[in-house]
Amino acid sequence: MRISEIFYPNSLGDLLELLKANPELLIVAGGTEVVGMQASKSLSFPAQIASISHLPELQKTTRSEQYLEVGCCTTLSGLLTLSSGALPAPLPQVIQSIGNPAIRNTATIGGNLCCKRRFMDLWPFLACIDAQMEIRSLHGNRWAGVSHLSDDAGLPQFPEASILTRIRIPLHAPNFSFFKKLGNSRFPSPESAYFVCMAEISHDKIESFRLIFAGERAFRLKDHEATLIGRRVPLSQKDIQPIVDYYSAEFVEKTGNDNYQFNALTEESLGRISGQ
Amino acid sequence: MTIDFVLNGKPQKTQIRSGDRLVYVLQKLGDFPSLIPDCLGGNCGRCLVFMDGRLIYSCLTPAFKAKGSSIVTYEGFSATEDCKDIIYGLKQASAFPCNFCRKAKIMMIADLLKRIPLPEETDIMEQMSIVSCPCTDPVSLAKAVLLSAECRNKRKFKRADK
Ligand SMILES: Cc1cc2nc3c(=O)[nH]c(=O)nc-3n(C[C@H](O)[C@H](O)[C@H](O)COP(=O)(O)OP(=O)(O)OC[C@H]3O[C@@H](n4cnc5c(N)ncnc54)[C@H](O)[C@@H]3O)c2cc1C
Ligand code: FES
Ligand code: FES
Repeated sequence: MRISEIFYPNSLGDLLELLKANPELLIVAGGTEVVGMQASKSLSFPAQIASISHLPELQKTTRSEQYLEVGCCTTLSGLLTLSSGALPAPLPQVIQSIGNPAIRNTATIGGNLCCKRRFMDLWPFLACIDAQMEIRSLHGNRWAGVSHLSDDAGLPQFPEASILTRIRIPLHAPNFSFFKKLGNSRFPSPESAYFVCMAEISHDKIESFRLIFAGERAFRLKDHEATLIGRRVPLSQKDIQPIVDYYSAEFVEKTGNDNYQFNALTEESLGRISGQ
Repeated sequence: MTIDFVLNGKPQKTQIRSGDRLVYVLQKLGDFPSLIPDCLGGNCGRCLVFMDGRLIYSCLTPAFKAKGSSIVTYEGFSATEDCKDIIYGLKQASAFPCNFCRKAKIMMIADLLKRIPLPEETDIMEQMSIVSCPCTDPVSLAKAVLLSAECRNKRKFKRADK
């Protein structure tokens, strides 16, 4: 067993110094993902590990009129215990679909977003509602949309020697949402994915539209989403079919996969927007 | 490295390696028949402990994360009145679990009643997913939880009345 060096930074400043000195440092928040991935009795880690979940500054929650701001080490159970209405509508349901209560007692929102091997369940929702994240490194801090956690090829990405510190979750979610978890519902398997479609419908018009499919890869057609804005609802089957066909063709092109579930869910979400 | 934590109320100072799962470190610290890890993957529950009051799988927890924490195993919990209420509920509902999962299920119910003194059916069903069991019918287990809750609440209520 390789022996790794374990650090317990006393502050965020300490952690950033550690990251500067050891860019390969493995950050461990709840540890459910980094441990859950390993089947052997002994765990193996990179040469240096920083345990961060004890840092109070990474667990703070604040609320303004527009958004809820949570520290990256807020556990998923912690999010669920926030007063009702503190989270935008579909989020509590999505969180409840993750693992089980004992996993959620340890699993953090930061760890869910920063998973390197695939997209976990929170990302597509937070991307759909334009949640923002604070990334800190020794070079400073910056805020960016969580959608930036996907690269152009739809694979997870995270800047080196950096840490995700806070997440800003808008309190207003679009008034239409349709989502479905696919694959093993209680443990991320290669088939696991989330399909999410959200739209703001006002005066029978689509004001905003988002459709994300995320599993091992993320799929989203931002430009195409823009073309749906301003369309009148209900959409007729004649309107829906070309959109579904376009999404299906792009899905095959971008992911190399012909996913019948994706096609069916796209059609179903557009039908639901139209009240069909 | 050496870490300090409290185990069933007693301070501990113990040597760990970076790759140790918490469950194996705890096993070495005493006689804990409740800690017989089977799946190492958050399924069987045979490693459940309370860490700082929250129910966790100690097989999925790296030992280094225990530093400074307070851990209670089933053996620590079993001496409490809360545990007796749960055993009573399980017996009354004829849902007494097998030896393989009994302690895990008791810890699972204890956690639920601690968080939600009067759980709804959906809360109970959700909590059941912590310990996988193909053989107990969920309706009996739900009944056991409600009977345990009733017993616990009566006891606590009476005490508050005095
Ligand atoms: C039995 C089981 C069931 C599960 N079921 C689900 C499920 O249904 N849905 C789901 O989405 N996930 C599931 N998971 C995966 C995992 O538990 C969650 O995604 C969890 O939210 C990860 O959080 P964590 O704090 O435990 O992450 P960790 O394991 O601590 O970290 C995960 C990754 O993120 C990095 N990281 C953590 N925090 C930060 C940060 N602040 N900045 C930069 N990098 C960071 C770590 O270096 C690591 O690469 C499951 C896991 C298990 C074991
Ligand atoms: S050993 Fe099975 S859940 Fe931990
Ligand atoms: S595994 Fe013990 S009762 Fe089902």
